[in-house]
Amino acid sequence: MPKAGTEEASDLDPSARGVAKAAPQQPARTRFRRRNRRLKRWFPYLLVAPAVIYLMLITLYPGVFAITQSFYKVKFGPWRPIGFANYARLLGDYQFLGALWNTFLIGSISLALQCVIALTLAFHTYRDPWIRGWRIVFLVPMLFMPSAVAFLYKLAFLDARVFSDILIRLGLIEHNLAIQSSTWLSRAVLILADVWQWTPFLFIIFVAALQGQDEEVEEAARLDGASWFQIFWNISLPMMRPVIVVALTLRAIDITTMFANVFIITKGGPAFGTETISYFIYRTGFRSFDFGYASAASVVMLILTVIVAQTVVKRAFVSARS
Amino acid sequence: MGARRGARGESRLIRYLILGSWALFCLAPVLWFLSIGLRPRVEIISPQPIYVPHLSLEAWHMIWEDWPMARYLRNSVLAIFGSVLIDLVLAIPAAYSLSRYRYRGRDDIGFYILSTRMMAPAIVAVPIFFLFRSAGLLDTIWALMIVYAAINLSLVTWIIRSYMLDIPKELEDAARTDGASDMRILVEIIIPAIIPGIITASVIAMIFAINEFLFTLLIASTPNAYTLSVALANFTGGSDGLIYNAIALVAFLAFVPVFLVVVAIQRHLSRGLTMGAVKG
Repeated sequence: MPKAGTEEASDLDPSARGVAKAAPQQPARTRFRRRNRRLKRWFPYLLVAPAVIYLMLITLYPGVFAITQSFYKVKFGPWRPIGFANYARLLGDYQFLGALWNTFLIGSISLALQCVIALTLAFHTYRDPWIRGWRIVFLVPMLFMPSAVAFLYKLAFLDARVFSDILIRLGLIEHNLAIQSSTWLSRAVLILADVWQWTPFLFIIFVAALQGQDEEVEEAARLDGASWFQIFWNISLPMMRPVIVVALTLRAIDITTMFANVFIITKGGPAFGTETISYFIYRTGFRSFDFGYASAASVVMLILTVIVAQTVVKRAFVSARS
Repeated sequence: MGARRGARGESRLIRYLILGSWALFCLAPVLWFLSIGLRPRVEIISPQPIYVPHLSLEAWHMIWEDWPMARYLRNSVLAIFGSVLIDLVLAIPAAYSLSRYRYRGRDDIGFYILSTRMMAPAIVAVPIFFLFRSAGLLDTIWALMIVYAAINLSLVTWIIRSYMLDIPKELEDAARTDGASDMRILVEIIIPAIIPGIITASVIAMIFAINEFLFTLLIASTPNAYTLSVALANFTGGSDGLIYNAIALVAFLAFVPVFLVVVAIQRHLSRGLTMGAVKG
C-alpha cells in the first residue's frame, strides 16, 4: 500500500478535518470524502502514469517483441521457430563480435579524447573575461545536424580529399591518403568527426561546474604558491567528479549508439572494420531482411544496456544529486 | 615580482594559443562547408581542391526548385513541435509527481523514465518498424512525432523535475492553507515559476529531434515524411553522386535557428544537457 498522497498529510488541513467531523450526520459527504481521500492517495501515480505508459509502449513492447522475434527465423515469408539458433549464430559471427569490438574501440578512444580536451579547454576558460565568446565559438559544431557533420567529413576526407591536399601542401605526405581502404584511417575519421562535434557537450558542462567552484579556496591555494596544475588536480577535479561521471555517462551512451556517421561516411567498411553495433543491427535487419537475427543482436545489446544502466548510471545520477 | 609577471604573461600566451587553435579547429570546417554551399557544383569535387570558389546561388535555387524543400521543412517543423508538445503534456505532471510527492516506488519510476534515455535506437528499431507498419503509420509525420516524443520524454521530465525541486516549499504551503487544490497549485504556482526550465527542456528536446536520424530513415521511406536530417542523405543526382552544395546549404538553414535559440538559453544549457544533474 502506498503512503498517503502529499507530504502534508491531508488531516493537517483544517477544512478537511471539519468535513471528517461532520461526517456521521452527512452520509453523502462521507462517501465523497472517502473517494476524495482515495483519489488523493493515487493522485501522484495518476500524474506520472501517462508518461510511464507512453514510454512502456515505446520501449517495453518493442523489448518483448524483439525477444520473441529473436527465437524465430524471420526472413521473408512466415515466422519459423528456431529456438536459440540465432543466439548461437551470434556467438560465432565474426561480424557481430567485430561490431562489438569496433563500438568499444571507437567509443572509448573518442570519449577519452573528448574528456581530456574538454577539461583542458574548460580549465583555461572558466575565469577568462571572454568566457561567453569562447563558449559560443566552441559550441558551434554541436549545433549542426549529425547527418550534416557526417557529410562534411565525408567530403573533406573522402570525396574532395581536402585533408590529404592540405597535408601534401604542408609537405607531410606525398600522395593522397587511401582512407577508404585503411581500417585505421577510416576509424580515425569517425573518431575525429565525433570529437569535433561533441567535445562542446562536455566543455559546456565542465565550465558550468568550474564556475560554481569557490573562488576564495582557489585564491587561497594560489597565494600558498600552488601551480595551476595543483589547483586543477587537488581542488577542481575532486569537486567535479560527480559532474564528470554524469557527463561522460551520457556521452558514452550516445557514442555507443553512433549510427549516422557510420551510415554516411564509411558504410561500415573497409571489410566491416568500422561497423558499429547499431549499424550491424540496421544492416542485418533492413538490408539483409534477416529480422529474427537482428532482433537477437538487439536483445544482446539490450541486456548490456540494462546492466550498465542499473550499475553505472543509477549511481552517477544519485551521486550528482547529493 | 617582475619575473613572476613575465611567467604569467607567458602562460597567458600559451593559454590563448591553446584556445585559439581549438577555435580554429571548430570554425575552419564550418566556414569551408559554408563555401561549399555557396559554390557551383563543378567546383566541389575536382582533382585539386578549390579553396577560393566562385560564389553561386545554384544550390539555393536547386533545393527549392528541384526538391520539395518546403515539404521537408514543414515535416521537420510539425514533427518537432508536435513531439515537444506531447513531451510537455506528459512530462510536466510526471515531473510534478516525482518532485513534490513522497510515495512508494517513486524513485524506481523516476529511474525507469531516466533509463529509457539509455536505450539505443537500434535496439528498438526493428520492433518499432513492425509496430508502425501494422498501425499503418509508416511514412507519416505522426510516426515521427510519436518516436521523437518518446526519445525526449526522459530528458524533458528530468530537466523539469530538477527545476521544480528548486521551488521553495513555503510557496506551495501558503497556497495549500488557502485551500488551493494540488492541480491549481501546479497550474498557478509551479508552472509559472519554472518557465525557464520548460524552455530549456523544449530547446534541448528540439535539438535532439532535429538530429534524429535512424528512426527517421526507417519510418520515412519517401519524401512524404522526410525531415531535413534524412533529406540530406537523399540529395543525390543518380550517377552524379551526392549534391554537396545543396547538402551544405540545408545544413546551414537548419543550423541558424538552432544557434540563435541556444545562444538565448546559454545560461541554462549545462543544466539541460545533463538532464538537470548539474546546476549551471
